[in-house]
Amino acid sequence: MSSELVTLTIDDRQVSVPKGTGLVEAAQVARVEIPVFCYEPRLGPPVGACRMCLVEIEGAPKLQAGCTLTAGEGMVVRSAATSAKAAEGQQATLEFILVNHPLDCPVCDKGGECPLQDLTFRYGPGNTRMAFPKLTFDKPIPVSPLIALDRERCILCYRCTRFSDEVAEDGQLVARNRGARTEIATFEDEPYRSPFSGNVVELCPVGALTSSLYRFDARPWDIQNVPTVCTACPVGCNVSATIREGKVRRILSRNHPEVDRGWLCDKGRFTYPHLRANDRITAPLRRIPRGLSEVSWDEALDSAEEMLREAEGAVVTALSGSETMEIAYGLGRLLRAGLGANSAVLPEATSDTLGAFRLPLSAIAEAELVVVVGDDPVVERAPIVDLWLKEARRRGAELVVCSPSGSVQTPPGEAARLCQSLAQQRNPLGRRLRAAERVVLVWSGPGGGGGARVAELAHALGFEEKPGCGAFHLPATPNGRGVALAWSAAGDKDEANPQPIKVLVVSGDEAAADPSVRALAEDSERVIAITMFHQLVAGWADLVLPATACLERDGTSMNLEGRVQRLRRAVPPPCPDELAWISKLGDRLGVDIPAHASRVFADLAEHVFRDLGLDDIGDRAPLPGRKPFEAPAPGTASATAAPPAAEEHFVGALHLQRYRPLFSGPAVERIRELEFQRPPFEVELARRDAERRRIATGDRVLVRSNGTSVELRARVNRKLVEGVARIAEEHAADLHPSVEVVKA
Amino acid sequence: MPSTELFLAGTEDHDLRRLSEYREVGGYAALEKARAMEPQAVMGEITGATLRGRGGAGFPMGRKASLLAKNTGKPTYLVVNADESEPGAFKDRDVMGLTPHRLLEGCLITAHGIESTDVFIYIRGEYLHEYDVLVAALEEARTAALLGDVTIVIHRGAGAYICGEETGLLESLEGSRGQPRPRPPFPPVDGLYGAPTQINNVSTIALVPKILELGAGEFAKIGVPSAPGTAVFSLSGNVARPGNYERPLGTTLRELIYDLGGGVADGRELKAIIPGGSSVPVLTPDEIDTPMDYDSIQAAGSFFGSAAIMVIDDRVCMVQLALRAAQFYMHESCGKCTPCRVGTRWLVQLLTKIEVGEAERRDLDLLDDVCDKMLGKSLCALGDFAVYPVSSYLRKYRSEFEAHLGGAGCPLAGISPIEGIFAPVSQHAGHAEVAHVV
Repeated sequence: MSSELVTLTIDDRQVSVPKGTGLVEAAQVARVEIPVFCYEPRLGPPVGACRMCLVEIEGAPKLQAGCTLTAGEGMVVRSAATSAKAAEGQQATLEFILVNHPLDCPVCDKGGECPLQDLTFRYGPGNTRMAFPKLTFDKPIPVSPLIALDRERCILCYRCTRFSDEVAEDGQLVARNRGARTEIATFEDEPYRSPFSGNVVELCPVGALTSSLYRFDARPWDIQNVPTVCTACPVGCNVSATIREGKVRRILSRNHPEVDRGWLCDKGRFTYPHLRANDRITAPLRRIPRGLSEVSWDEALDSAEEMLREAEGAVVTALSGSETMEIAYGLGRLLRAGLGANSAVLPEATSDTLGAFRLPLSAIAEAELVVVVGDDPVVERAPIVDLWLKEARRRGAELVVCSPSGSVQTPPGEAARLCQSLAQQRNPLGRRLRAAERVVLVWSGPGGGGGARVAELAHALGFEEKPGCGAFHLPATPNGRGVALAWSAAGDKDEANPQPIKVLVVSGDEAAADPSVRALAEDSERVIAITMFHQLVAGWADLVLPATACLERDGTSMNLEGRVQRLRRAVPPPCPDELAWISKLGDRLGVDIPAHASRVFADLAEHVFRDLGLDDIGDRAPLPGRKPFEAPAPGTASATAAPPAAEEHFVGALHLQRYRPLFSGPAVERIRELEFQRPPFEVELARRDAERRRIATGDRVLVRSNGTSVELRARVNRKLVEGVARIAEEHAADLHPSVEVVKA
Repeated sequence: MPSTELFLAGTEDHDLRRLSEYREVGGYAALEKARAMEPQAVMGEITGATLRGRGGAGFPMGRKASLLAKNTGKPTYLVVNADESEPGAFKDRDVMGLTPHRLLEGCLITAHGIESTDVFIYIRGEYLHEYDVLVAALEEARTAALLGDVTIVIHRGAGAYICGEETGLLESLEGSRGQPRPRPPFPPVDGLYGAPTQINNVSTIALVPKILELGAGEFAKIGVPSAPGTAVFSLSGNVARPGNYERPLGTTLRELIYDLGGGVADGRELKAIIPGGSSVPVLTPDEIDTPMDYDSIQAAGSFFGSAAIMVIDDRVCMVQLALRAAQFYMHESCGKCTPCRVGTRWLVQLLTKIEVGEAERRDLDLLDDVCDKMLGKSLCALGDFAVYPVSSYLRKYRSEFEAHLGGAGCPLAGISPIEGIFAPVSQHAGHAEVAHVV
């Protein structure tokens, strides 16, 4: 869009808008509504299908579809408000749409928040002249376990197919047949399996695509929507949680144009029922000879106090990275100030030096060149970033993905070395990175030093001087940055783990599920776990305090951009929240920790964010400005890409690449409808590696390492680099890094 | 009077499917002439000849070419619309089947004129014979090194009327679902694969060699000044001698139907004339002296369309005829935009109700109003094409529609020879639904 302005008249109002502005948007500037169904600028070029936006344009003999036009100099436009012809046209469109649309609004999930209802009310005919039987279709059709399709309600606006085609680029939703019998379908009626499928439910302007988790759950007039932030991954998409009778019923997007552009992944959208999982812990538990037994809060706090005091500081805290900054700070204050216990297992670190190359995620779409390094596909770590990358590519950016299955096949563990070579003058790609004005670097993979490495590269390429160039690190945890920051703000000493560990405090379900934390627990005399689910702690925790979910918390979280966003309590937790008992334990240990997130934040903000108040964050948090570059502390360098241990390397072995799929983790595991999205029991092999072993896709194979063996199905992945066996973390069991794969 | 002047010239005594015989009647001389000229000069001839598009709309070809975007960094494409599917139309079939080289020569001259090296001929899938003829001719031309640096691709459609709409054709040619695109942007700016694209009908392009041969001035003397040249008129329906007849534009319907076609078959009375294919408004017998050229026929309230003249005699029920047309357009509606997708089906339901005698007067008013609500509101012209026959039959033969009402049913049911007019549409949705309505 250019800075040149054009002036046009809409319903006798003159407005000036940048050249290239769509007529619908130009009308908005003139405070005129041009109603639409199919038009949705986020879905690519307009299609002009629904004909709701008909307007009269001076000089054109016929009514025109406003959505397909851009504002032109001197254009004279009349909407239904001032043109009888346009009003008649829009009424005709609505009459046609309603000819076959069932009037089952009283039992339709969309009823009450339905654009078709609303626009019929404002522009439609008051009655129907259609006296013939309406078209009927089989319904509802499960497009997937998550989405139900009612083809009778469908008005064929093609928003869903365009999303599938032009945003998610999965091409799975299609229109088939033609004319009145046109229908939306998935190709070959396979389930719509895409990390982003739920967006089509929200895009649907009628009740044709509904969430099978929300169907018949609530009426729009007896729900409340609470604005909060998703913490399923480090993107931090802005969401609304729909509440009815104290329960979360669905998650909707709350479009933060810089962060998510109104898209959510299915993990963020559909995992909310885990709040009501059967094995949710709602009361403290203490170990008894056989299992765990519920105890009162007073008893629990007594035990906790006693265990912590007896440890005399020999306490290690394992944090998940999913805590709010307030909880992390509260725990930090409690254990560091209260007990002098400073050692912690922190989530995968993101370097603060990235602050010098900060950009909003939306800047990715503007980039001309994007380089992704790291072993994990972006979609598994930060799904919405994947959509931004796709948009960048659609807009003409070159996307270079250096990963085991990327456009530039790179063996695992090479990312840090790659960054170093890109920083060198003679590297051809590096030269282009230096020359371009809008470059984005992304580190997507394990290796604690990723943030620092990519920041060093950005520094070497001179990105501080280029406002269009930036760097991102995609951490493994949603709020790892915020948690590390809050923990460090709560004390200033770093200590190695005490020997022996008298008490291990495990904060959160991710930490509790982490094998390395479990290993630490073996070496600890006692374990206090703070978790949501029974299954995770049965057998190894001495004291379990119930955790809350993010939808139950007030507080703040820092996303991968470094944006501090606000969580709001959508529903009350089934137990006192973390801050409540942290505050009480604080009283006992002589540390003053407020029980309210806002007061904890004020305290924390004073230490780490000068001048940042909750009001400044608001509903759509701003991105802080860039900070001057500081070279990463030398200590972090050692954390880089420790090359995979070459232990027990034997000839013909493959390197086991474990990855954590997007659809994994304690919340996902508790949603039956998400089962189909979880990774199949398979091992991916490069074509040559498979051929050498005479393995074909679908074969049962044994993956073996040093006495351990797992049986999986093989899949030949033509994009995968040779020498790698790729297995989802949850199926890799305790296989060692070097494996052999043979036919079962 | 010669029945062939331009399109079919030479077909009386030559098999113009063969390159050698086409050369005997002067074939490919125009190409040689054109290639010796500057491209602008070639287009100057076409513009000077006021060659109007024979596909239906009559838009001057030269002016269309002048809209082609320049300096886009993309190639310019020439696309020939050979997806002739309008009920009643079969002119392009003979042009391709009898004089394939004339079309190819026209393509090559036009490609030179618009500086394109890529030509696509999108041919109706059912025209298998014509496809074979065209492919063989192309092979001959290629072997004779006539193509130069031009690539001509002949692409078969898969049976959708909508792919004769230029943007639907482009979508289909690109491999997508055949559905029209919103316009603007227009194909000369953003056409095939997003590149500037010239799209013309077979019969338009096939006239190009003759323009070069005769020169714009001589060509303009044929036909009428507003639309020079000839057209191949396809006579069908209740006419004694159906078939293709090439005549200059401006020839009257009377001359075409009576002098060439031998008048109404079986000595019946003329009841109606559909002058340009099933999609255009009907004319009544008193309009028989209307000259067949774009402007005259438009002044009479109809369209030149595809020059497919259907003769309707007094045994034909106009409601049945409207229903037949409506069924065709319902079947062919692509389903992309609301008024056409929904309206075409509603028209079929209403016409069925009228035909079987279950309708009341208010249903006629509703039919008229549904037509009105559809007209001019669809994404492409198909929505309008579905309306023109229905609304014009209703307006001009209202008493016949009224005779069906109130349980009366069709007064002509026993004798209406509608099968001869255009073929019934067998369609999955249509029949079942009509039966359901009945």
